[in-house]
Amino acid sequence: MSVPNGLRCLLRPSTTTSIPARIVPVTVLAASFSSTSLLGKNPLPPKGKAPPSRVKVLPGGHIRAGKKMQLGKFKKNKQVDRSRPPAPGERKAYRKRVTLSNNNALPVEGLEEMSPQAMVDPEKVGRMLALPNELVDQLRAVEAFKPTQTWNMFRQPSILQRKETRELAEKMQAAAGKGETLKLVISGDRLVGKSMLLLQAVSYAYLNNWIVFHIPEGQELTNASTDYAPIPNTAPTQYSQQAYALRILQFLRKANQKLLLDLKTVFPHPELVQHFPVGTSLLQVANAAKEPDSTWPIFNAVLQELTAEGAGRPPILFSLDGLSFVMKASEYRSPAFELIHSHDLSIVRRFVDLLSGKTKLPSGGAVVAATSRGNSPRNPSMELMIAQQEAKQGLREQPVKEPYNRKYDDRVEAAMRDIEVLRLSSVSRSEARSLMEYWAASGLLRTAVDEKAVSDKWALGGNGNLGEMERATLLTMRY
Amino acid sequence: MAAPVALTRHMTSGPDVPGDHNPLTDVLDGVADVHARPLPVSPSYFSRQARFNDSYLLLAKLAERHRKLPVLPKDQVQPVAWKNLDNFRQAIGEQVKATEFVRCMELVKTLNRIHPRLMPKEVSDALLPFKKAVQPYLNVEKTAPIDKFGRALGSGRRKTSVARAWLVEGTGEMLVNGKTLADAFGRVHDRESATWALRSTGRTDKYNVWALVEGGGTTGQAEALTLAIAKALMAHEPALKPALRRAGCVTRDPRKVERKKPGHVKARKMPAWVKR
Repeated sequence: MSVPNGLRCLLRPSTTTSIPARIVPVTVLAASFSSTSLLGKNPLPPKGKAPPSRVKVLPGGHIRAGKKMQLGKFKKNKQVDRSRPPAPGERKAYRKRVTLSNNNALPVEGLEEMSPQAMVDPEKVGRMLALPNELVDQLRAVEAFKPTQTWNMFRQPSILQRKETRELAEKMQAAAGKGETLKLVISGDRLVGKSMLLLQAVSYAYLNNWIVFHIPEGQELTNASTDYAPIPNTAPTQYSQQAYALRILQFLRKANQKLLLDLKTVFPHPELVQHFPVGTSLLQVANAAKEPDSTWPIFNAVLQELTAEGAGRPPILFSLDGLSFVMKASEYRSPAFELIHSHDLSIVRRFVDLLSGKTKLPSGGAVVAATSRGNSPRNPSMELMIAQQEAKQGLREQPVKEPYNRKYDDRVEAAMRDIEVLRLSSVSRSEARSLMEYWAASGLLRTAVDEKAVSDKWALGGNGNLGEMERATLLTMRY
Repeated sequence: MAAPVALTRHMTSGPDVPGDHNPLTDVLDGVADVHARPLPVSPSYFSRQARFNDSYLLLAKLAERHRKLPVLPKDQVQPVAWKNLDNFRQAIGEQVKATEFVRCMELVKTLNRIHPRLMPKEVSDALLPFKKAVQPYLNVEKTAPIDKFGRALGSGRRKTSVARAWLVEGTGEMLVNGKTLADAFGRVHDRESATWALRSTGRTDKYNVWALVEGGGTTGQAEALTLAIAKALMAHEPALKPALRRAGCVTRDPRKVERKKPGHVKARKMPAWVKR
């Protein structure tokens, strides 16, 4: 009896008030000048030209429609969409939007917060760690969260502390302690969690007050989508990317503000337009970059200051996702209309030099790059070098270089000769279980989390591939 | 007129005829000399249910003759699939009365209880017309062997796909053509059907699967795997067969692409009608 009324409350307000026209005449509560097409439309049909009636009224009062000849029977009913087209960039913004919280998800009680100690604690392996709010702000500032990750299903961003996470955090800790540079590439199957591990590396760096230079997508540097210009007096010619440099400085200012405020300059910088006496805070220098045109010298100065030797600088993390894009020829063209190798782009070169060990971070730190499987060009040299490293670590048999393949790249091979590879594999049952318990506590998994359910999902996710497990459990409309 | 009288007497005397001598042969011996016209072999020839009556009389006689043989308790008798009334009527082609058939079957079951070692041949022969031709109770299940490494091989087909699955006790890992399930099947639904035999019986974490599939598309391959894994699972645990059957993992799905016919555009589609 009350069901229709109850259901009606779920309708949109505009439709709730619709009362049959024969009871109350339709009145549209909108100004006559309303620009909204729907409300502004005249509810009454135009008078005058009424269609000829073919309706036949039978003696019993029964009404039957007469035969109508339809001429354009197979023509598509053209419905012209007169709504406003989205503004430039609106669609992309919608596509790239990252939502980190969902008020419909249940809050999970008793989650431990991520902390520098927790990340290297063997006790915490296989537990979910919630990201503290300041860290979330920092990670958001450097665009470390990706729209493809399922943050929007949970109340608060939390990450599973995996075995490999602790391994990586310990390596970073050791490298910073000894003042060395960790050079590491994260490899692994599709959807196995490489970008998430990179996110955890970045989190570790922020939690330990490191300076972080994070490049969220390697392809943005090389697919000819930002400005570039040759740098004078370089042979072979290098190219600056001022707009992207400004973006990196903005990331740095937002995410490492406190740290930059405490760091003081040790060099006079005569090349800069603005005068910064020695002892100025680095934040001030970084803040001087306002427009892309004047950014390049400031970007160089900031990097020079941060890598100054003996000035008590904090460790630095250089991180990059989508390595294969920066290990090949870019889509930029030189003045002679030849493709520019990515390593000739100055920002990429800095990263690659650190990865190859050509330059070192004086106060230690890490260079971490993640490969990507979803969107990545074929890169035989990079794949070969990673495979060779994996073979050295005993993870697979020694790969053979194809003798007639001309797509190998010597520069890439030289750059990646001396790296460490962290091969990310699938999760163990206990890790999968704690993740599923988190899903269940968030109200997303409506079954009991027991041995059977865990092994089911573990098998469905291709022997514990986290992304596939998530796909099979949360992203199908089954449960 | 002696023969009909003798016949009538015999037929009406019913099952409780004391049978030390064979009345049939007596009659034949006595009559053959007198009458030139042939006599029916069966004394029940002129009754409505000649063959049934013969069997009935024979059974009654045998029951009387072997009543002292030891019998098995009812629950230890090897079960036999008996013909029901319809089957029996069809088999002998006579309109047997239900009540008489019931009474006859009581005799049959009594005789069947005689200890099998002492069962006389004449009794087992007499019981034969009442047994169904196919005796499902005698079926021996064919079980796939488990090799010395503990592997059981099952094979399955669906559409044009053929799958072989080796099942070994383990922790629930699965490789299809050397790839993980997620790599082998992009669709989650296909992964679910491939593992359905294990999932429906709650054995996901008890066995490891190593499988080879070829031919057909993804759906066919996944469902061929269902069958292959189910068969291999039945080799390990034959008692799971009813559960697997309920889950739809035992029967091969016989549907295939229907062939194209001459005069048709596809299997059934006819060409459009064209004026002239």
